[in-house]
Amino acid sequence: MIEFFINGQPVQAEDNQTVMQAAKANGFFIPYFCWHPQLSVPGNCRICMVEVEADGGGWLDIACNMPITRGMRVLTDSERVRARRKETLQFITLNHPVDCGICDKAGECTLQDYHYEYNGSPSVSRDAKVHATKHYPLSERIVLDNERCIMCTRCVRFTREVSRSDALGVQNRGDHSLIRPVEDGAFENDPYSDNVVDICPVGALLSRQFLHKARVWYLKPTPSVCPGCERGCTVNIWHRKSEWKLNALDQKQNARIDRVTPLENPAVNGPWICNKGRDLAQIFERARAGQAMLKGRPVALQAAIDSARTLIGAAKHPVALVSSWGSNEELAAFHKALRPRFSGYVKPDWLPAPGERIEDKLLIKPDKNPNGAAARALFPALPADARSAFTPDTDLVLVWGEGFSFAHLPPNAKIVYLNSWLQPENGHADVFLPISVMTERAGHYTNFQGVVSGFEACFARPAGVADAVTLFAELAQPVRAGATA
Amino acid sequence: MTGRKLIMTFPVTATSHLLADYKARGGYGTLERALREMRPEQITKEVTASGILGHGGAAFPTGRKWGVIKPNDGQPHYLCANADEGEPGTFKDRWILENAPHLLLESMLISAYALQVRHSFVYIRGEFDLPYRRLAAAVEEAYAAGLFGERILGTDFACDIVIYRGAGSYVCGEASALITSIEGKKGYPRNRPPRLTVRGLYQRPTVINNVETLSNIAGIVAHGAEAFRTVGTAKSPGTQLVSISGHVQRPGVYEVEYGYPLAKFIYEDCGGPLGGGKIKCVIPGGISTKVLTAAEIETVTYDHAALAAAGSQVGSGGMVVIAEGTCMVRLLQVLLRFYHHESCGQCTPCREGMGWMHRIIDRIVAGEGRMEDIDQLIRISKANDGTTICGMGDAAGYATVGIIAKYRDEFEYFIEHKRSRLNGRLEVVQ
Repeated sequence: MIEFFINGQPVQAEDNQTVMQAAKANGFFIPYFCWHPQLSVPGNCRICMVEVEADGGGWLDIACNMPITRGMRVLTDSERVRARRKETLQFITLNHPVDCGICDKAGECTLQDYHYEYNGSPSVSRDAKVHATKHYPLSERIVLDNERCIMCTRCVRFTREVSRSDALGVQNRGDHSLIRPVEDGAFENDPYSDNVVDICPVGALLSRQFLHKARVWYLKPTPSVCPGCERGCTVNIWHRKSEWKLNALDQKQNARIDRVTPLENPAVNGPWICNKGRDLAQIFERARAGQAMLKGRPVALQAAIDSARTLIGAAKHPVALVSSWGSNEELAAFHKALRPRFSGYVKPDWLPAPGERIEDKLLIKPDKNPNGAAARALFPALPADARSAFTPDTDLVLVWGEGFSFAHLPPNAKIVYLNSWLQPENGHADVFLPISVMTERAGHYTNFQGVVSGFEACFARPAGVADAVTLFAELAQPVRAGATA
Repeated sequence: MTGRKLIMTFPVTATSHLLADYKARGGYGTLERALREMRPEQITKEVTASGILGHGGAAFPTGRKWGVIKPNDGQPHYLCANADEGEPGTFKDRWILENAPHLLLESMLISAYALQVRHSFVYIRGEFDLPYRRLAAAVEEAYAAGLFGERILGTDFACDIVIYRGAGSYVCGEASALITSIEGKKGYPRNRPPRLTVRGLYQRPTVINNVETLSNIAGIVAHGAEAFRTVGTAKSPGTQLVSISGHVQRPGVYEVEYGYPLAKFIYEDCGGPLGGGKIKCVIPGGISTKVLTAAEIETVTYDHAALAAAGSQVGSGGMVVIAEGTCMVRLLQVLLRFYHHESCGQCTPCREGMGWMHRIIDRIVAGEGRMEDIDQLIRISKANDGTTICGMGDAAGYATVGIIAKYRDEFEYFIEHKRSRLNGRLEVVQ
């Protein structure tokens, strides 16, 4: 440990730490654009200048690349430092369009924050700004506004050091420098490309999904877990704040996933997620099943529950196919309520889509279900040949969750089907019970490493849809007198 | 004559650059003696004792740079000759590369032995054609004569050399950008720390010296540090190759002993200004050094201390003579166009500041200047001073501040009258 001083206060630092790292660890804030805790130090933005006090005046240098020496005295907010930051911000905003009014980053933009915090004065330049490409398509998912870009090169370093696609580079030099793919389409094949939108300190890199979709201050992040694979990355699901609900517009806008961003979690995913996690809306905004059915005939939810209970009560050799998308709470409820009656198998609800990356060294894992590990701790996995899970005397199958073809079921068994989505199988089940999705309830997933992460409800559960935890308890109740299937 | 000579000691003929002629002048004898009779540390000690300062522009003591390298620390070291001579007005290294390539190669071999370098590099400016061909031919001759490769001159010492041609970027003459370029990356300078002598090329300790600095090593080792110190002044031992150009009768490369009177050099040795005019000012060492007026050069001698006292530098020895009648506003425009064009764009102050200054001076020359533009230029220069990764931002600022400080009235006249007080030319018509 090395002791040194920040703004007169003694601070303990690890060996090999820079002033920036030690300041951050000890609660001192030094502004930065290009520095990122997970990336190498380019020292190019020059906003993190601090003053080192020394006999005969002292000197200014960048904190992100400054090694600590014992007893050194650093000032993060001296007169000289403040004057230097003002000058640097004059440079950074010199050719920046300051079009915050139409910029998606406004409200969470580092440059905006620093300008208010450290500069606050109008540009001293009277010359025209350098123009550059607007809306350059870096990939199908990302557009780049070169005028807003402040050349911090975080995105370039991300593709070189984290995603390792080496997809981006800097073209030209001086104030004509441009971020560009190293070759056409290079960035398309980076499954982590959308992270550059988050790490961009300004609104230069924009997600097409979110482009001009909402102002961020109307949105609220709800902590959640990505169900895309067994990594279980923690994410924030952004949706409209209840006080900013749009009554006059399409009601769908009030209950949609506006965007998904990583929720930093050193134990699981660090500050990154893959592009599949950004596309959760494609999973959760499919057509929902909202109507309980008996052989395709719409009935009230309670009537369907009663019928299912009757079938379960009558069955002699029932088999359950347990969802690997069920939360720990749901799995526990199922285990407690129905395990004694059923022989259960864990089924993979999702298999890798054609062309989807199966596995890599960063985050993506081969099991495309979020809670397979927790489910398999309670029930055996479904055999590769699904038919071998059933015996000739299997007379009832409870299928929980999507992704299982009814063609594999024994022809004479009754089917109780629990699903959230509007799918053709629903009508073929003897009893169909619509259940909630994870964005409508709270719960926990256990990832492949055994790390448990919680998710919270973003939206209200639609009417007529059951919550699996209470549903399992109800199904385990004894059959009520007079109820019929 | 411009004092004693250490480099330009032989008459240039059609064959003087070849190995045979170089050997006839005693060439590679010092290498042989160094390999057989001296230990590496002895050579470094001799270089340190000589007090030679870097000839590339920053005048960093070569011995101090070499002293950081520990020859036997078990890791590879690299030596690189910086032949990316790009400072406007400077063409002195070109003379060595064209006329004495073997002097550079012998010196590099001695240096490589001192620093225990197995692989050495010459990073040569991409625009250099004849210098490149001469150097490449010299390397082939040297390899054929067993001066590079394994078991050099029958000793255990082995060293290889690679000539790497730059692609025309000014910034790649900066040592850290140069090695980044050799590594095959975009020529961006690196942050210090770490110093390049600690972690340089391929993350290993690297010594990068100017061509002229290295070319002095053979002489220092041959005759000893004491003999070297007798040339020049106490604080600036040795000589400087000066490339003089501009409004001067006899432009070219001259070897000037440190301490030689500057006025004598310009007026007598170089024949004074063109067309019998008067000298307005002199850029003493490449455009990044501050200009000296005609009155200032009268008393100054050509060495580091005297030029520093006069408010300028020896720099890279690229002297530009500017005659009376030249418009300093237009001159600054040319300089700032250069800096804008050559800014690598890595760090904020230089990337934005160079273009900003260029746009301001363009506007002034177009007759759309405002009085506050002059202070704006100084403000941008100061905001670049010491805030950038490499020295280029500072250098542009020095040039700007230097010219404005001495010729502010010309700028004010230009802005007020929308035209130059002079005829606005950069060339003097004879």
